[in-house]
Amino acid sequence: MNKGFTVDCIGYALFAAFVLLLMPWMVDFSGYELNSYARYLALGVVAAAVALSWGTAGILNLGQALTFGIGSYVMAMHLKLKASASQPGGMPDFMVWTNVESLPWFWEPFRSLPLTLAAGVLVPVIVAGLLGMFMFRGRITGVFVAIITLSLMLAVQLWIINEQGWTGGENGITSLAPLELFGWSVDTYSLPFYYLAAGCLLAVLALGLVLIRSKAGLVLRAIKDDAARVRFFGYDVARYETIVFSASAAMAGVAGMLYCLVLEFASPTYMGLSLSLAMVIWAAVGGRESIVAAALGGIGVNMAEGRLSDLFFDQWTLMLGVIFIAVVLFLPRGLYGLLDGAREMLSARTGAVRENAAGAGKVVPPTGVASEGKTD
Amino acid sequence: MESLFNEAFIGLSLASILLMVALGLAIIYGTMGVINLAHGQFVMLGAYGAWLLQTTFGLSLLVAIPVVFVVVALIGLGIERTIVHRLYRRPLDTILATWGIGIVIEQLVRAGFGSDSRYVARPAFLEDGFLFLGAYVSSYRLFIILFSLAMLAATWYLLFRTEFGTKLRAVIQNTEISRCYGISAKRVYALTFAYGAGLAAVAGALVTPLVSVTPTMGTSFVVDAFLVVIVGGVGSVLGSAASALMIGEASAWLSFLSSETTGRILILLGVIVLIRFRPQGLFPDTVRR
Repeated sequence: MNKGFTVDCIGYALFAAFVLLLMPWMVDFSGYELNSYARYLALGVVAAAVALSWGTAGILNLGQALTFGIGSYVMAMHLKLKASASQPGGMPDFMVWTNVESLPWFWEPFRSLPLTLAAGVLVPVIVAGLLGMFMFRGRITGVFVAIITLSLMLAVQLWIINEQGWTGGENGITSLAPLELFGWSVDTYSLPFYYLAAGCLLAVLALGLVLIRSKAGLVLRAIKDDAARVRFFGYDVARYETIVFSASAAMAGVAGMLYCLVLEFASPTYMGLSLSLAMVIWAAVGGRESIVAAALGGIGVNMAEGRLSDLFFDQWTLMLGVIFIAVVLFLPRGLYGLLDGAREMLSARTGAVRENAAGAGKVVPPTGVASEGKTD
Repeated sequence: MESLFNEAFIGLSLASILLMVALGLAIIYGTMGVINLAHGQFVMLGAYGAWLLQTTFGLSLLVAIPVVFVVVALIGLGIERTIVHRLYRRPLDTILATWGIGIVIEQLVRAGFGSDSRYVARPAFLEDGFLFLGAYVSSYRLFIILFSLAMLAATWYLLFRTEFGTKLRAVIQNTEISRCYGISAKRVYALTFAYGAGLAAVAGALVTPLVSVTPTMGTSFVVDAFLVVIVGGVGSVLGSAASALMIGEASAWLSFLSSETTGRILILLGVIVLIRFRPQGLFPDTVRR
């Protein structure tokens, strides 16, 4: 049990209480508000995904919205097929409009719900795994990872917009059927749906924390500090980087599926440059070093956006820009850094007091022994 | 034959616009390692500057170019002194901060001038075109090509033939040692950022007759320009020029052979493969650092 793990547990418990108890109570269990809050939770998941690869391994993925978008399209394809069941041939309406003769083969698996749910996680993982192997085997780092992920996302977004008959093009996939889970027709304006989103968020965060606190997580943090040294120790740096990159993609896939459920459509803007960079900034505001803090950042910024954009309209975007600049300049570790700094100051003070008390009465031990006892 | 020449010419004019945007970005990135995502917004400011000068004072585009260069360079100087200079030790964070700056600039412009599309007339004597080898050559596009070549030459001269350029190259190679020789790295950085911003504004003013001016026009430029810089090789001005030429020509030809979107997708994928196998760029600066 190390200190980081304890801090994680406390933070996680507080966060769970906040999400499960306080948030629904805050909005008086109103269905409309719960729907917005479920959206914030979905965006919190993706902010945590950004932090998982960025904060843990130092891989800044500017194309996180790609895997997020894939998740949302997977979900939308399933729900669209369900909505089009009564159409001739079960074809979605936009395919009929664009004269597509038969359902493309890659749509077929999405008739089944289990396959859809699996695909929502696995397709992002496969995409990220292939991209990760491609990049990290070539020892690509830093800015170049950022540019590659960004370029791939833009390429896929363009493809989706271009292939209107297969993907719904610019309009995305709209007029979806409600999801049916174990006979429960999901009403996205209800408390159960909110808890579904909250459950996904908490489960994903718990898995993320397990990864971070595992041995793999330790190696990843070492890679962030000095990749070459880890390589000299005989670790396969590329493999660890690919693992965390894929794990973060899986989280983003889950977030995308939730997001599609909440908004009831999927659109190419989910893979857009602005959203993707916004995700990175949410993680930065919350604190990239902790996925829980990053999730809070995602939830908090979007909550503020929901509230303040009604009051200030366009000025809100301006304020958002100013907040981003301020956070990067003055809070480089995000709100988490602020808390962590305060905690460290506190423990340094109590530590000093304890040392004084111990040193006052007893004989001072030989310095060598003292430092040996303290270094672990 | 006509169409071949036509595509080559359109590619050349695309490349020259790209070059103008990328040149400023390349200098800023090469010198300070700052990924300036607000660069597209400097382009947009230049475009709005040209529009404003034309609609309110009736000034020709040619007169507007030096004015927007100076004004946006000063804005860039202000941004460098207030925000960017604090981030030189954290290059990845500059991505976020400059994106924030971009948002702020975009919103201020939107608040000031609205989100409608604006149009700028090209100078009267460049209105027409002529036939060359059976293909139509627009005088204005030709002007852009020549102008960007002139800017490239000017930048090359600034870097390699002036005292400022010598100091700049010294700072790029070794900041600490240059400081020991009494070069103020702070000053060099600030002026470089300002010059890069000014170049972006000139590019913005130049494209106004070809595209509509909107507050969001910057974003599309910054991505392409970044690809040019990375492909060309960090810190290499001529490399940026060569890669702008390549990417510009490639997009013209690929859109001619298939469609514009497919062309862009292929270019993005090509750039990904290129970065993977040559992250130092095609024409890296060979100076030892």
